[in-house]
Amino acid sequence: MSEPILRVESLVRRFGGLQALGGVDLSVERGEFRAIIGPNGAGKSTFFNTMTGLLRPDSGRVCFEGREVTGEPPHLLARKGIGRTFQITSVFSELSALENVQVALLAHARRAWSMWRRARSLYVQRARELLALVGLGASMERPAGILAHGDQKRLELAIALAGEPRLLLLDEPTAGMAAQERIESITLVHRVARELGVSCVFTEHDMAVVFAVATRITVMHQGRVLAEGTPAEVRARPEVQQVYLGESA
Amino acid sequence: MKWSLWVFLGAAVALLALPLSLSEFWLFIAIEVLAFSLYAVSFNVLLGYGGMLSFGHAAFFGVGGYAAALLVKKAGLSAGLAFALLPLVAMAVAAAFALVIGFFSVRRSGIYFAMLTFAFQMLLYTIALKATPLTGGDDGITGLKPPGVLAQPLVYYYFALAVVSAALYVLYRLVSSPFGYTLRALRSNARRVQYVGVDVRAHQLAAFVVTGAFAGLAGAVFALSSGNVFPGWLNWTASATPVVMAVLGGMHTFLGPALGAAVYVVLEVLISGRTEYWPLAMGVIIVLLVLVMPTGLTGLLRR
Repeated sequence: MSEPILRVESLVRRFGGLQALGGVDLSVERGEFRAIIGPNGAGKSTFFNTMTGLLRPDSGRVCFEGREVTGEPPHLLARKGIGRTFQITSVFSELSALENVQVALLAHARRAWSMWRRARSLYVQRARELLALVGLGASMERPAGILAHGDQKRLELAIALAGEPRLLLLDEPTAGMAAQERIESITLVHRVARELGVSCVFTEHDMAVVFAVATRITVMHQGRVLAEGTPAEVRARPEVQQVYLGESA
Repeated sequence: MKWSLWVFLGAAVALLALPLSLSEFWLFIAIEVLAFSLYAVSFNVLLGYGGMLSFGHAAFFGVGGYAAALLVKKAGLSAGLAFALLPLVAMAVAAAFALVIGFFSVRRSGIYFAMLTFAFQMLLYTIALKATPLTGGDDGITGLKPPGVLAQPLVYYYFALAVVSAALYVLYRLVSSPFGYTLRALRSNARRVQYVGVDVRAHQLAAFVVTGAFAGLAGAVFALSSGNVFPGWLNWTASATPVVMAVLGGMHTFLGPALGAAVYVVLEVLISGRTEYWPLAMGVIIVLLVLVMPTGLTGLLRR
């Protein structure tokens, strides 16, 4: 049996007296498109930030492709092949869209320390390809900060993909979007991830989005995993309906 | 950009020809402009490109100056050899200090980073003031002179022009390089840049050390022209100078701070020759400047 791409074992994180994560387990197979859902305060964002080195876990383990990466800083996780996007869109606002992707490509190629070569002409072709892949052809020379919200989200995806991640962690990839735009956006991520063979884990509020693309769903509640399974299985679980789906029905 | 080439050529010709018509007094001022141009640009690579507001950049300008002075006066080398080694030694010593100070300072960002650099600089100021056997204490180190023909202000001007031009070119390549792109990205969004695989602290430290080294070089160039170094070079007020120059010239262009340095130094000479209230006049100018043209002189020219 092949090693899961991501395995999390009893991850615990406290903030003072509050236990935000009470021992979370998660196992994601290669090629999955895994949704993590749960009501507000379920610990989804804390879970993401603890997995990606922004927060240190109090205990527990995170393994990527069979190797332990618990508590490693973000830049090392990125170099190992874990990409991420943020709930609040996070791009380099003062740089052009093209430069945004170039910076990511340069870092991925370990050339961020090159102090003499002119960067302007480096990886332009590859950057254009990535921007085209996420549907950002026309606006490459403009500062990223003036792009529309949806386009910034696309750009952030292109930045994350520049690192050729094998695992992509997306924290609420459709936050702040209109209903129609959400489905389009997650479909794009889904299509691109398929094309490039990237496994994905994403958190999401919108059930329509989740059921449109997720291969499996993990339900979090009060800092723990409440249920896990295929969309159909999760939908059928009474306790899930009670804490989460019930609220929105 | 055709016109920028013309501006560049015009500036080059002016910088080469101008000193031939200057009095000795103004030659010294011109050399001061060159040294402070490098100082201000090196500072602005940190601030304008890297978003790191250092309140302690004078530490490296001063350390470079003292390194130059000690090399010339106390190392026991022949005048020629000491002078030949001077740029490298000043840069190496300033870089070493920047490595230690930066190692601790880049652990914090924003105002805390600024306060740490400020504190380290005051530490060095106190050492310069109190370690009299080495630094001459309050009196500083005086009587510095470049060897041979370089002692002539005109010749020294061309020497300074060559050194500063070369240094500015290196810094320009730095900000245009992948390192510089990453530095800009880091200013824009430090968290995001971590997740593309950049070690933010190491990157900031490298920028701190490189710009510190060039500030040291600027200090050394100025020391040999002014003939002395004083503890005041390391005082916190000296760290405000490049901030003002950068804001005056424009933080968002590479050479803006150099222009700011020229205007600042010349204004200082003109105004302080007429009134002892020179800082008052400068204060008024800065207030007007920030209110009327926050992008500085270069921002005004670009419009």
